[in-house]
Amino acid sequence: MTSDHPPVSDQVRARFASIVGAGNCITEDGELRTYECDGLTSFRVRPKVVVLPGSPREVSEVVKMAVAEGLPIVPRGAGTGLSGGALPSEGSVVIGLARMKRVVEVDLENSWIRVEPGVINLEVSKRLAPDGYYYAPDPSSQSVCTIGGNVAENSGGAHCLKYGFTVNHVLGLKMVIGTGEELEIGGPVLDSPGYDLLAAVVGSEGTLGIVTEVVLRILRKPESTQTFFATFPSTDEAGAAVSGIIAAKILPAAIEMMDRLAIAAIKAATHVDWPDVGAALLMDVDGPAAEVEHTASQAIAVAVAAGAIEVRRPRDEAERMTMWRGRKGAFAAMGRISPNYIVQDGVIPRSEIARVLKEIELLTQKAGLRVANVFHAGDGNLHPLVLYDAAVHGQERQAKDLGGEILRICIRAGGSITGEHGVGADKAPYMAEMFSEADLTAMNLLRCAFDPKGTFNPGKVFPTPRLCGDQRGKYLPHALEISGEAGRG
Amino acid sequence: MTGALSQLAGNADAILGMIPRWSYRPRAVAEASEALRETHLEQMRVAFVGGGTQISLGAPPQALDAVIHTDGLSRLVEYAPSDLVITVEAGMTLSQLQTAAAQHHQRLALDPPRPELATLGGIIATNAFGPRRTQFGSVRDLLIGITLILADGTVAKGGGKVVKNVAGFDLPKVLCGSLGTLAMIATATFRLHPLPEASATSVIAARTGSQSWSIVQAIKAAQLEPSSIAAVWTRGLWNVGVRFEGFRAGVAQQTARLREIAAKIGFSTETLQDTQADGFWAQEGAWINGRLRLKIASLPSEIQRPDLLDPVLALLHGATSTWYPTLGIAIVSGVPAEAESLSRAVLDLRSKLVAEGGSLVLIDAPVEVRREIDVWGPKPPSFALMERLKARFDPGRRLNPGRFVGGL
Repeated sequence: MTSDHPPVSDQVRARFASIVGAGNCITEDGELRTYECDGLTSFRVRPKVVVLPGSPREVSEVVKMAVAEGLPIVPRGAGTGLSGGALPSEGSVVIGLARMKRVVEVDLENSWIRVEPGVINLEVSKRLAPDGYYYAPDPSSQSVCTIGGNVAENSGGAHCLKYGFTVNHVLGLKMVIGTGEELEIGGPVLDSPGYDLLAAVVGSEGTLGIVTEVVLRILRKPESTQTFFATFPSTDEAGAAVSGIIAAKILPAAIEMMDRLAIAAIKAATHVDWPDVGAALLMDVDGPAAEVEHTASQAIAVAVAAGAIEVRRPRDEAERMTMWRGRKGAFAAMGRISPNYIVQDGVIPRSEIARVLKEIELLTQKAGLRVANVFHAGDGNLHPLVLYDAAVHGQERQAKDLGGEILRICIRAGGSITGEHGVGADKAPYMAEMFSEADLTAMNLLRCAFDPKGTFNPGKVFPTPRLCGDQRGKYLPHALEISGEAGRG
Repeated sequence: MTGALSQLAGNADAILGMIPRWSYRPRAVAEASEALRETHLEQMRVAFVGGGTQISLGAPPQALDAVIHTDGLSRLVEYAPSDLVITVEAGMTLSQLQTAAAQHHQRLALDPPRPELATLGGIIATNAFGPRRTQFGSVRDLLIGITLILADGTVAKGGGKVVKNVAGFDLPKVLCGSLGTLAMIATATFRLHPLPEASATSVIAARTGSQSWSIVQAIKAAQLEPSSIAAVWTRGLWNVGVRFEGFRAGVAQQTARLREIAAKIGFSTETLQDTQADGFWAQEGAWINGRLRLKIASLPSEIQRPDLLDPVLALLHGATSTWYPTLGIAIVSGVPAEAESLSRAVLDLRSKLVAEGGSLVLIDAPVEVRREIDVWGPKPPSFALMERLKARFDPGRRLNPGRFVGGL
């Protein structure tokens, strides 16, 4: 996909530049190319203009200007998203938040931090580490992705099995909506009276407005963390181990599964010395020391009983970090074994893991492709990586079709089309398979309350464009009323 | 005219003294949808009632034509113990759900007062919580899916039945605390947790709020992870209750560590027997009609300030304050000695809290106090947006009109 929209006129450019400064207003074709996609590189649209505001006031001015010019707005953090959430809409202005990266305030006593949206996820924990605190959500892209992007996508990560997602850690935020209004929602104090608008905004994928400041809950570091790495003949035994661990009342901080192909790719790309096996689990247990000691030994016993070939514990923190870097670098590692890949993000009930993996395997064989699996096994969040070669005619299409079929398997298993990457442009067509028309209409009510003109990130999340219509809503007469059997009032 | 679904209402259907004309008792989601369709066609103003434990929360309805009771919607819809996920109809009581989950050694980690009466729908609508919020969060952190019935009777779903799911807007969470003003909650899907192998409650007696806070800070510094902490104030004394739950070894170690830490800063610790412990954690739920009940929210470190709550506590007979220090929320209750001076003290407290980003809500209050004090306090900064949200979901303003913040 490419766009043939001409850049904005010199006049419009000058107006944006007058708000943010000429250096922060991009209209050069070559520079615009940087912004034509996010982490989902198979979708590309050149924006009309990219504006990089430096303050909430500038964001508000830019939004007002874009609305006045009738330009759609696409917010963008670091552009690491995997669903095309930051893919420019046709003829849009992209508002990049990368310049807004101040840590505004830290309150350790009350366990919160206030940051601007361009702050990198990992920087929050680094900033807090000397005091023994951290920020829990840890998407694999955490060393580059921004808090603003995390809020938009309700990002998760390996450790959300125990600690929850971004939505469980955002206490408050400030945002600019389509009217240019600057809103303040929630804050460091809990239970502010009124609707839970935070829940609406977190995970709204940039369709409701632009977040300009975020208050995050921070946590005291656990006293102890134990990590182990267990290998299995196949994903069957590894899946049984996961179910067994959960059945033993253990809530690990993370349990990650990798299959043979994923292990091979990770080995090729990093320094891990993992054996060639059918499947592996990487698991963290954390908390108070005695609790961790007990749960780790229990979990290992369960893994062994389920058929583990070997269970390794890292010798030191350095080895532990190497193990986790291997896991977190899994997507990038695919480049070692395949020219191209598509990553899916479907979720299934945990108890269905073994069955669904088999179903995926069958489909994959039928399509003549390869799929590597690396995923958050504790919460059933699959990341099947469909490997293909774009140079081979028709293979990209085949890979996309296979990815779609995998999502349908997840829906049929009672799961979801996305556990953490978001719907974006990529999975919008599948929303209508997961949700009914009435469900989508109800969700749209929320969007219309924030953004009735559909200025923000049009074309994302919803499978077809939806208008907001009259604020009062159209009165729909009941069949009995039409037939004259019932009246109004 | 209404159809066969409704009956004439009586005193038992009253909400804060207002008696509706009609009363509905749907026994299935489809019937509830029909009831809402009917009230939509008749342009009736409707309220939803579960177990009634929080019926006093909110301003009196602006108008009320019909009440929809949810006690006929009490079925277990789906329970997958191996996935730790349960779906129930909204009129099921929390106790019923816990009984079903306990058969598989699981629980919903939510413990608001009066679980034998409180329904899941009511808990969601009022954002009710208890001491375990310390570790497990509030209902929004445990609710993963919902079936709604919109004002016109349309049935819609949000979320799903897997814990991890970011497909579409998070309608389940948006309904949390919405007090029946956006839609009727018909079913709810929750994430469950395993029942812990062991539990131990210790109580540390403190003389002041700031001593209580120093105990809480010491627990945090020592990296202990209690499932509940509450500092209960009665007659000038503070009792800081700390509960650990988990595997036996972990609970024993944490309880021992707590004793050491407390001793180091000069406090002695008493570990309670099970029945005593249950009593301690149920204190906030002790319910007497006619009492004043306030929910106070501030930065956690602020509520300890002695000057803050004292003027209100001094004007209440049998005053109790249950402070959840890690949350920054306190529930204050007692019988007002004299309504006028008490109202002044409460308003003064509210303005102090609001000035620092906090709030004060009347959960329940005698009529004399309600006359003087708005239940919710000043409109929040994003109120205009809340009005727009209400207008989208309930364009006829017929769902629980006037009861929520700013008359929503």
